[in-house]
Formats: sequence, structure tokens, C-alpha cells
Amino acid sequence: MDSVIQDFRKAYSAGDGYGLAQTLSPIPPSSQSERLQKFFQSTNYASAQKEFRNQILYDNSGPKMPMDEGNGWVEVYTAYWKAIGEILSAEAAAQSNARSSWTKVYDAWKELTNVLHRGYSNCGFEAWTVPCFYVVGKYLRIFAIKADEDAATSTTTMTNFDDFNPEAERNEKLEDAARQLNRIFNLCLSDRAPLEESRKWGIYNIINLLFKTYFKLNSISLSKNILKAVRAYTGDMPVLESFPLAHQVTFKYYVGVINFLEESYVEAEKNLTEAWNLCHKDSVRNKELILTYLIPCHLLTTHTLPTQALLSPYPRLQSLFLPLSRCIKKGDLSGFDAALVAGEDEFVKRRIYLTLERGRDVTLRNLLRKVFLANGFEEAKEPGAPQVRKSRIPIAAFGTAISIDSKETMDNDEVECLLANMVYKNLMKGYISRPYGMVVLNKKGAFPGTGV
Amino acid sequence: MNAPWGIPHSQMVAPGTAPHYPPPPAYTPVVVRQTFTTGPYAMGQQVSPTQPQPITVEPMEPKKKIDWPQPVRDYVQRSFDPCNVLPDVPRHEMEAKLKHTISVATDSNSLDTIDWANIPLPQQMIRLEKVQAAPAWIQESVNVHINGNGQINPAREHLISKKRTSQDLDRDDNESVSTPPWRNTNNRNGFEDRITYPANRIDKRQQPFQDDASKGTSKFQKNLEKRQRRFDGGYKSTYKVSPEPAATGPVVGTSQTLEKRYFRLTAPPIPSQVRPDPILRQTLELLKKKWKKEGNYSYICDQFKSMRQDLTVQRIKNEFTVTVYEIHGRIALEKGDIGEYNQCQTQLKALYDQKVGGNPVEFKAYRILYFIHTSNRTALNDVLADLTTAEKEEKAIKHALNVRSALALGNYHRFFRLYLDTPNMGAYLMDMFVVRERLSALSNMCKAYKPDVKLRFVTEELGFESDGDAAQFIYDYNGQHLLEEKEDGLRFLTGKAGQTFESAKIQAFKKVDIKGQI
Repeated sequence: MDSVIQDFRKAYSAGDGYGLAQTLSPIPPSSQSERLQKFFQSTNYASAQKEFRNQILYDNSGPKMPMDEGNGWVEVYTAYWKAIGEILSAEAAAQSNARSSWTKVYDAWKELTNVLHRGYSNCGFEAWTVPCFYVVGKYLRIFAIKADEDAATSTTTMTNFDDFNPEAERNEKLEDAARQLNRIFNLCLSDRAPLEESRKWGIYNIINLLFKTYFKLNSISLSKNILKAVRAYTGDMPVLESFPLAHQVTFKYYVGVINFLEESYVEAEKNLTEAWNLCHKDSVRNKELILTYLIPCHLLTTHTLPTQALLSPYPRLQSLFLPLSRCIKKGDLSGFDAALVAGEDEFVKRRIYLTLERGRDVTLRNLLRKVFLANGFEEAKEPGAPQVRKSRIPIAAFGTAISIDSKETMDNDEVECLLANMVYKNLMKGYISRPYGMVVLNKKGAFPGTGV
Repeated sequence: MNAPWGIPHSQMVAPGTAPHYPPPPAYTPVVVRQTFTTGPYAMGQQVSPTQPQPITVEPMEPKKKIDWPQPVRDYVQRSFDPCNVLPDVPRHEMEAKLKHTISVATDSNSLDTIDWANIPLPQQMIRLEKVQAAPAWIQESVNVHINGNGQINPAREHLISKKRTSQDLDRDDNESVSTPPWRNTNNRNGFEDRITYPANRIDKRQQPFQDDASKGTSKFQKNLEKRQRRFDGGYKSTYKVSPEPAATGPVVGTSQTLEKRYFRLTAPPIPSQVRPDPILRQTLELLKKKWKKEGNYSYICDQFKSMRQDLTVQRIKNEFTVTVYEIHGRIALEKGDIGEYNQCQTQLKALYDQKVGGNPVEFKAYRILYFIHTSNRTALNDVLADLTTAEKEEKAIKHALNVRSALALGNYHRFFRLYLDTPNMGAYLMDMFVVRERLSALSNMCKAYKPDVKLRFVTEELGFESDGDAAQFIYDYNGQHLLEEKEDGLRFLTGKAGQTFESAKIQAFKKVDIKGQI
């Protein structure tokens, strides 16, 4: 008990919020691997609360604090102590292959969350201690996931008499965790204290935890409600730029991905680029995550592909994007289709399949451009005049190109349809003259942005 | 709804003695009430298992100088008789009840009129009350759970946790919690209840902590939080982890009626109104016949919903359940009731995951088409993730996947070929988005083809039944000026269309009602 409470006193006296939060971590520091066992064994259920009270409130060597706040911390550490007990027994059970109960761990940890929440709403915990929520919230989510994993067979109560609700049953605890995090979110958001002592400074960390949870629950649309709520408070909130970089980067990343999934690629690209620029240079994993969405974004908005140099530090991204990139560049339609099929599982898992699929348009454009280039020049009317490319191209010529490497020849109507799409999407300038079976391309800039 | 702590008393307490009345002023001559408030029932905290009899009825007697009638003495005797002890009623609870009963009787001067030999013993009363109280709070927690889909209102959660403790009142040793706040003020010492406090003082004394040294927090904030504290009963409340709602396990139905109107349940089902599996099978046969004969959708839908409900409350998840959902899903599709269809498909997905038979290929294909209709990209992605390689090769699923990719790539040519060759009942779903895809294809053509195309070409490319239908469609979207008779038939003047179909297309894509309710 001593080391935990001593750390509490030290952090409290110093006003060190992150240090304080660390005393509530369920993971011992590597220098004191026995810390949690010792902490738990130092007292028992009957006297834990009393002992914490003595140490926090009545020990003159500790920091002075108002009575109700002190009582709040007593409750917090009592709840923490109980949760640690559950964690230790769950871990011990896991080691001996017995059935471990992460559900109990979750419930105990949730109680800790609630007690902490009450500390702010009722006992006057100050805003600088808000990092405690980061630690407690983080593990609340983790324990919920573990609890749901081993509660696969648990019998849940029926809440809807009309139909089964398998999804809710599978993620019962995690959904509950989302609700708890939402309470914390509201606690931070609705703090009306002046900014310098406001819990609002905790908001983005909690939002990021919520986003993470919603993504896992596959209810990404709920993230929009959070964004809406934050927007409603815009005037009363510190600007995002004044928050810790870590909060900013994660937040922008999630906002970017949310927009990405809604096909708002321009907005997505903006946020992801900001996240990319702010991201710490050594967080390879985070940069990799950002690029996973930024690259497909870029492909759609600017029709550009990642360079080798950009991808070189990320072998995973290379295997993800390089095969497709090569085919897009070459205008290799069947190669593109094959690469898309080959990577389908990975792409679907990362939710980029539907976006990458649209890279086929760029592939087709590159192929048609090759046809255009291969078609050669008009016969010069007078010697010395600048060469002009032939702008009237038979539909059949495109059809042949499209059917390369394909077992069957695409019928003309379908070829026309693909060409019409190119024109419609402004990837190709010109028109189809159906009676003549010809495509008439613009003399200048038939393929915008490609130099011809 | 009664305050939860009101429940146990409601049958026993005469109105004038209801416990939440302000403490009597000092001069109140009623002696008995003193024991009532200082007794273990009121506070519970003096009772500890090691001191089983801190205040029994006997010591009460000389103090009050009441000559207890013999029947009352016998009643007390019987209450403590070991052979009358009920294991689920703790002794201190029983004592409290006993005291309460006697004091009420004394207050109402009915000590001599009550038939003490025949009224239930206190422990029996407690048990009875528990049984009576149970359904009320089970129901309450269920309701909350239903409402709590999004977020449980903390205040409400708090309320429930109190409710729960009120049921096993005083079971825990330190139960200052479940004691209503007004009691707290009464129990400082034996004489406290003789002092009348001004109202605002009482208010203050209810706050467990009053240390006002505000450090860092703004005064405003502090006050605000204080005010809030006043409402949620103070910090000390053992805010129990939101109570487990009473387990409403599966029921076994006993109803023998085939037909039943759908009624949305808000409380646990009553077995006599639930049809068991064999009856439901007969119901299905009856409904199939009726649907064929009468085709009354609102009747059928209602009946199917009640069948689904009966299956759910009995937790029947077998091939028959699948059949019910599949048939309802098909009928809903046919009638364009996309909301009901969606409910069925959601259930079917879960049922198919458990491999209990049915036609997963057919309905998985519908599911893809449905998500195309609702433009639900996230769900489409998930569907792709869930399909196995073998499933992707199944005809209906392959068709649906091809529809998806054709639309994703703007390949209307392929899309309309697929539309004309849809397996099973998928065409009902495709009908829902074929109009917007036609508009999309038309705007596409209008931009790409110059100066015109044969109307015949539009008919074929966009899967119309006849040139007439195609012309009608163009008319419907104000394209009459774009049709021109030439020597070789009607022509569609794509070059002159401008934005005619573009704006209609944007409108059509906007209008997707994601929930699909009608």
C-alpha cells in the first residue's frame, strides 16, 4: 500500500496530474513488478477503506486537502484496491488455466470509474487531476473487451422481447464501457469553470477513447454525435491547437477516417494530412495508420500514387499498395483486378477496399491514354507544322485495349459505357459519336492532368 | 410510482404515521415513536451480527410503562420462537418489523382489537412484501434497460440502485445508504427527533461533507457541485454498480390459440399468452394459407410479428425460427415493407451465423442488395468481410456482388444486364434503386454522347421493357424536348440535355431513407 499512497502524496503535492494518474494504473512499473501484489496484500476487505482514510486524511505527513476531496480519494483508492484484487485473481486463474473472470475485473474497474466520476461531480476533484480519467478510461475499454471475450457463453438478460439482439449480447460490456466513457465525456464537456481550471482540457483524450470504442463496436456513426456535441461548445472550448500534440494527432486521425468512410475525401485528406504533419517522427505505427487512409484518399482526389521513398519505412504498406500502384501506373486492368482480389481480405479489414476499387478508373484512364498515344499523329498538312495527334479514335480500338489479357472480348456497348464514364468523370475530354463508332477527343488536353 | 421505500410500509402504516413525515416536535407526548426511530429498523447501523439482541421488545416494556396485553406478548414470543425463523429473513429485519407492527397498533389504539393469534408473524410479512414488491421493481429495471440503449441516465441509474437496496433493506451492515436522507437527521442521538430544526438547516445537515476549503476550484463551480450533491443524496450513497436487471429468462408458453395480435411488450411475458413451438408451427401453416387466400398484408405482418415475439421470449432458435423470419422477410419484400424486411434480415444474419439451416445464400444476397439500396458503405464493407470464398461463388451472392461492383464502377451496361437476370426475389430490392441508377446512367450518356442516340439504345442499355417505357421515363423527368422523330425512328438528343437528369439524379440519391421504414 505504501508505494501507491506515497506516489499519490508525491504527485498530489506536486500537482502532477500524469503522475497521479499513474498511481491508478493496473500495470506495475517495470522497476517494481511486485508492486500490485504488495499493494493488494497490504490490507484486507474489512479494513482497506479505514486504512486509506488514515493514510490520506489523517496522516500529517501527507498533503493537506479539503475533507470531502480527501474522502473522495479514499473511495477512489478503495475501489482501485478492490479492482486490483480482481485483476490479480484473474491473472492467476489465467496462468493456472482456470476460468478467469474478466467480467468481475470489468465490474470492479467500472466501479472505480464511477467513484472517480463522483469525485469530480461531488467531491471537488480539481481539473489538473483529469489524467486519472485517461488511465482509468483506457483500461475500462480494455477490460470490457476482455470481459466480452470470455463471456461468450454468458446468459444476458433479455431487453427486447420482439427480436434477438445478437450484436448487443456479444459486446455487452464494451457497449457499457462506451456509456461510461460518454458520461466522462459529458462531465468534461459541461464543466463551467473558467478555462484555466476546467476539465475541458481532458476532452480530446476522452473523445479519442470513445472513437476507438465506437470503431470497435462498429457503430462509427455514434462518433458523429460526439463531434456534433463538441461543435456546439466551440466558443467555450480551448482551440484544438492548444491541446497536447498526442491528443490532436489521434483526434485528427479519427476525424479523417470518419470522413473517409463517408466518402468525404477532401475533408478526410485535410484532417489526415494535418495528423501526418503533427505526428511524432518516431511513431512509425501511427504514421503507418495515417498513411493507410491518406494514400487511397490521395489516389481519388489527385490521382497520384505513393512514391517508393514514402513507402520504404513501412513494409506492410508496401505489400498493401505497391502491387495495385504498379498496375494503375501501367494501365493494366486485368492486373489491377487480380491485385484487388488478392488483397481483398486485407483491404476489407482496413475498410479501404471500396475506395481502392475506384482506382480502376485511373487505371482505365492510363490505358486509354496509351491507346491515344499509340494512335499516332495526323498526316501533316504542310511540312514543318507542329505534329497533331489523331483525335478521332475508333471505339473498337479502345475495346481491344480493354480486353487485353481477358479471356473474352468486351462487347461494344459495354466499352462505350466505360468510355462514357471516363467522359462523365472528366478523366477524358471528348464525346462519343455513336453513328460513326468513334470517340472524338479534345485536341487540347484529352486526358486532363497527364500532359496530353 | 411509489417511492421504493414506501412499498414495504404501504400496507401496514396508517396514513398519519407514514415515516417520511417530519420528526415530531419536542412536546409530542407519544412515547412509542421514540423506539420506532431509534430501533434497528430505522437505522440499522446499531445492529451487528455479534449483538443479536441489542434492543428486544422486552426491555421496551418497563420503559414505556405500557401494560402489554397477553396476546401481544404471545405474539412476540412466537416471533422469536426458533421453529418460526425463516432463513431468508434476517433477525434484525424481523425485529424491526415486529416493533413496527406493535408501535403502529399502539398508535392507533388497536392493541386490543387486533387478533394477535392470527395475524402473520413479522418474518412472514416481510417475506410476503418481498414477493409482492419484486415484480414492480423487476419491471422497472427492465424498462430502464430498454430505454438505456444509448445511455443510462445517471440520475436514473442512481434511482434504481436505491430501489434495489430498498428490497433487501438493512441486509448489509452499514446501510446508512438505503436509509432515506430524512432519517439520517433523526438518528444522531435518541433525543434529536425532539428538536425541531428550521427547514434550511435540515437541508444542510444532510450533506455528509461540509469542508468548504476550496482549493483551486472556482467558487461558482463549488456551489454548483454542492447544489447538485444535494439532489443526488450525497457522496456517501453506495452507488451500486447498476443493478443487474432481474433475469428474464426464457418462458415456456402455454397458450393454445393459433392467432394472436402483436402487442409490444414492456414487461416480462406471461406464459399463458405465449404459444409454444408446436402451436406456432400450426400458426405458420394457417398464416401461409391465409396469405395465399386473402393477401391481407397488415393482418399477416401483425401475426408474424407476434410469432417472432413468441419465439424470442421462449428463446427458440431453430430451423423453424429461421423459416418464420424467412417467410416474413419474403412477404415484406414483396410488399415493399423495407423496414420490416430489414428487421427480419438482421435476425436471419444472426441465425445463419449459428448454422441452424434455412436459405443463407438467398438472404445474404438480399442483404447485399439492401445495403446497396441504402447506400450503406460501412455495412457493405462488413458484408464483404463476412463472406467466405465459397459463398462468393454462389449464384445469388455472386450476382449481388456483381451488381455492387458494376455500380461502384459506373458500369450501367452491366448493371442493367444483371437487373434483368436477378435470382429469387432480389428484383423487388433492385426495383427500389433502379430509378436512381437510370437517372445516373442517363446523365452519364447525356454528357458523353453527341449529338444523339437512338431511343432503342436507351431502352436496351437501361433495361426498359419497351421504347414506350423508355420514352415515358424521359418524359417523367421533363425530357420531352429531347425526343425527336427521324427517318430511322425516335432519337434521344443527348447533346441538348444539359443538366436535365443531373439534378434529378442528385435528388434521387439524396432521398435514400437509411432506416427504410415506410
